[in-house]
Formats: sequence, structure tokens, C-alpha cells
Amino acid sequence: MKLFLYVLTQVCITLVSVCGIYILTGLTGMFSLGSAAFMAIGAYVSGLLVLKAGLNMYAAFAAAIIFSVGIGYVIGFPIVRLRRDYISLVTLGFGESIAQLILLLSQFTGGAFGLIGVPRRVNVWFTLISAVIVIAITAFFKTSKFGRQCIAVKSDELAAQAMGINASRVKMTAFLMSCALTSFAGCLYAFYVGYVGPTDFGWKKSADWVIMVFFGGVNSLTGSIFGGAFLTFLPQYMQALNKYRYIVYAVLVLIILNFKPNGVFGEWELSPRNLKRLFSPKKNRREDV
Amino acid sequence: MALLEIRHIYKNFGGLRAIDDFSLEANAGEIHGIIGPNGAGKTTIFNTITGVYHPDQGEVWLDGNNITKLPQYKITHMGIGRTFQNIRIFKGLTVEENVMCAFDPQSKYSIIGGILPTPNRIREERRGRELTRQYLDVVGMLGYKDEKPENLSYGNQRKVEIARALICKPKVLLLDEPAAGLTPTEVSELTDLIRKISADFGFAILLIEHRLDLVMSISDTIHVQNFGKTIASGTAKEVQNDPAVIEAYLGAEE
Ligand SMILES: Nc1ncnc2c1ncn2[C@@H]1O[C@H](COP(=O)(O)OP(=O)(O)OP(=O)(O)O)[C@@H](O)[C@H]1O
Ligand SMILES: [Mg+2]
Repeated sequence: MKLFLYVLTQVCITLVSVCGIYILTGLTGMFSLGSAAFMAIGAYVSGLLVLKAGLNMYAAFAAAIIFSVGIGYVIGFPIVRLRRDYISLVTLGFGESIAQLILLLSQFTGGAFGLIGVPRRVNVWFTLISAVIVIAITAFFKTSKFGRQCIAVKSDELAAQAMGINASRVKMTAFLMSCALTSFAGCLYAFYVGYVGPTDFGWKKSADWVIMVFFGGVNSLTGSIFGGAFLTFLPQYMQALNKYRYIVYAVLVLIILNFKPNGVFGEWELSPRNLKRLFSPKKNRREDV
Repeated sequence: MALLEIRHIYKNFGGLRAIDDFSLEANAGEIHGIIGPNGAGKTTIFNTITGVYHPDQGEVWLDGNNITKLPQYKITHMGIGRTFQNIRIFKGLTVEENVMCAFDPQSKYSIIGGILPTPNRIREERRGRELTRQYLDVVGMLGYKDEKPENLSYGNQRKVEIARALICKPKVLLLDEPAAGLTPTEVSELTDLIRKISADFGFAILLIEHRLDLVMSISDTIHVQNFGKTIASGTAKEVQNDPAVIEAYLGAEE
């Protein structure tokens, strides 16, 4: 049970950032290998504000998120004008330099020792409620004018602009949304674990999130959440396999993406209407033709 | 001053003269046909008007405003709508969402409405949806609103593209080979549709088309392009009897 609650918390925190990646990669088609840096910014800024400035935790969360969005705005400026394949490179560079910066600013961040003694004021229920709220926000975003324009830009940027859509602005909005969400995940992480380490936020973590989104279904929020939850639970419950568990993990991801290139869920979303369709087999069959 | 004025535009791609001095004046209610052999620069004219490229020389004026150097999306806001030669419908959106997302830039709610169901969002979404259905009805595609557009026939995809252009409230509508790949019945449906929207909305239409019968029957003025140059322009009759046109069309076949 204790393990379960621990893993559940990991899942919830992961889902908060996976929602951010879903908006960025799933909806808008931008690949970032530096998103984890925003998680680091969220964790360090909120942690420091409480530890060193004695701020209230919620105020520190808000400040950390606003700060991340500010940074996101500055590096987003070139990003939204770049060709898409360069975006991963720029974000990768940004992410790795943030990791270095954390080591360099050791008098604030604790350098290689990490930030120690953050009050552990976030528990499993807090993260669960946060995850539910963030998922709801993401679902609302997807069905809003912003979400539609993101999908249009992802599908065909030239045609989107010809329909009056300001593609750079749409991409910036998606990027800032994902900055805000990943940095919130960082806040949760810092105050759940009580410690922030400088090596927790490299490009591998960003890549993990992208894999989760693709595994579950890059075009489906339901799928992305499934991917995030499943791929976080899995390695924790395969302790018995020991060092082979990452091989199992990798093979599973490869198998799914080979046979279902659009991920487990494809484009399918969980909604009352789609559920009804699923359980009325006649209609379903006609659609398959 | 005419509604749309294209003044001596030029566009080169490397050494290739895709547009070599093109001018055109169009007023509300007129239909202008642009014809010419493959590679004559017709699509490039549309791309230059809509800001996909900017012309090397020359200017484009819409309703008294110089729109030559505006970014693509602003030119659309100024009042130019278009469809594409090789259909460019948005995958991942339904037919209804495809049209609605072209309304979205005009939809007035902030990012707060983007993440929460605020009254403002609900009102604007309803307004957008109603308009979308209205335009889908105009092109006769309302019954397909929940379909995935990539599953539709070419003819129906073209109609969705037209509805999507209409909801941008254009003053000038650019149609790039709308009849390409359509069956004969679909072509005649499309001809009726173009006539209808031209009469109902009163905008200027520029129409690129290979099917001479279609173009000749609905255009007020026809511009014949060859190697980037305008070799003739006038009514269908004038153009048909122009020796340069006969040369370009028949000469090319020999
Ligand atoms: N982006 C581009 N870069 C380089 N060359 C281009 C570009 N766009 C068009 N061209 C060239 O410009 C010329 C005119 O092309 P355009 O597409 O305007 O012709 P078109 O009259 O529309 O022909 P079609 O009837 O085949 O559609 C062609 O030779 C084409 O290869
Ligand atoms: Mg063309």
C-alpha cells in the first residue's frame, strides 16, 4: 500500500507534466527536449522562495509558475519562428544549460548537493487533486479555440495562416502553457520529496514524457494520460526484473509503436458521446468500413 | 479605385521568372478566370497575393489598403480568402472544426476562457458554431459536420475548403483549380455553387482553372498566362480568338 501511494504520487506529478507535453507535442507538433528544465525551474524557485524568503507555499508556487512562463516567453521567441526540427535542438541546449546553471549557482541551489530541507507539505491527495485539475484544464484547452488552432497549425501551418491563424502566436501560447504545467509539476515534486537534486531534470526526462505521449496516443489526451500512468507504474512494479526492467520497457514501447503508430488510443478520447458509440456495435461497424 | 488592385507584380525563384509583370483589377461581384499551361505561374500569383511570398516588385492593394508586405494571416484578416490546388484540409479536426478554426481568430475570449468554461467562452463558441453551420449549409456539407474530412470525396473536401474560406469573411475569394479531380456531376455542382456564392456574397472571385468550359462559362474576364507573362486578357470571346492564346495552347501541343 505504501509503495502504491508512493507510485501514485509519482504518476500524478508525471501526469501534470505530461499534460504540458500533450499540449506542446500532441496538439501543436513541437518537440521539446528541454521541458524538464522548466520542471527544475519550478522546483528550485518555489523551494528557494519558501526556504530563503519565507514565502507561503501557494504564493511560491504561483511565483515559480509566473517566473517559468517569463523565461518561456524569452526562449519561446526564437522557437516559434524556427522550423520544427530545430526546436528540439534549441530546447535541448536550453535544458542542458539550465542544468549547468544550477550547478554554478551553488550558493543558492546547493550545487551538486541539491536543495535540501524543503518542507514536505505536499501529500498524495494534494498531487491527485492537482493532476485532476490539470487534466480538466488541458481538456478544456483542447476543445477551445486555442486547441483547434494548435491542431490546425500542427496539421498544416501554411493553410492555417491562410485561414487567418497567427501561427507564431498559437505556438507561443502552447509553449507557455506547457512551461506553466511542467513548472507546476516541479513545484509539486519539490514539496513532496523535500529535496531537489540537480541531476533529476536532464533531457532524458523530457524524452521520457514525449515517449509517454506517443505511447498512449499523440492525438489523444486520454491516450497521453494512459501512457503517462502506465509507463510510470510499470517500472515500479517490475522491481523483480531488476536491471532488465528498462529493456522490457523499451521493447514494449517499440512493439506498441510498431503495430499502432498512433499509440494505444490513436485519436480516441474518453467522452460520454464516444463511450456511447463504443457500446452501440452497429454504428461502430459502419464506421470501420 | 477597384476593390483589388494588383499592380505590376514580379516574382523570381532563382533564375526562374514565375511572375513577369502581372496586373489585375477586380471589383465586387466580378469573377476573373486565370488560365494557362502548367507552370505558367498561376498558383504563384495567388501565393503572392496572400502573402505566402512577397513580390519582388509591384504592389497589391485591397480596398484602399496596401497589403503587399503584410504577413499571411493579416492579409486574410484584411479580406482575402482562398482554397488550395492540392487540397489542404486540417487532419485531426472534424469537418465542423475545420471550418470553425478559421473563425477562431475572430473569436473573442482570452486564455482564461481557454482553460475554463467562462460565460464569455460559451457565448463565443456558440456564435462560432452557429456561423460554421450556416456556412456548411451554404456549401451543402452540413450533414457531414462530424465526419473526418480525409474520408470525404475530393468534391466534398473542396466544399469544406470553400466553407472554411467563406467564414473568413473575404472581400476577395481565390479559388485554385477547384474542379481538379472532380467527377462531371461534382463539376456542375461546383459551378452552381460558385455562381451562387458570387451572387449572394458579392465578393470578387479569382478563379484558376484548367477546364476551359467551366472558366469560360462563369468568368467575366479571363487572363491568360504563359511563362509568367499575361499573353491576353478580356472576355471569353475575345480571349478565344486571340492568336497568341491559340499559339500558346495549340502550339504547345505539337
Ligand atoms: N516555392 C517555389 N520555389 C521554386 N520554384 C517555384 C516555387 N513555386 C513555384 N515555383 C516554380 O514556378 C513556376 C510556376 O509555378 P506555379 O505553381 O505558379 O504554376 P501554375 O501555373 O500554378 O501551374 P499548374 O497549372 O501546374 O498548377 C513553376 O516552374 C514552378 O516550378
Ligand atoms: Mg497551380
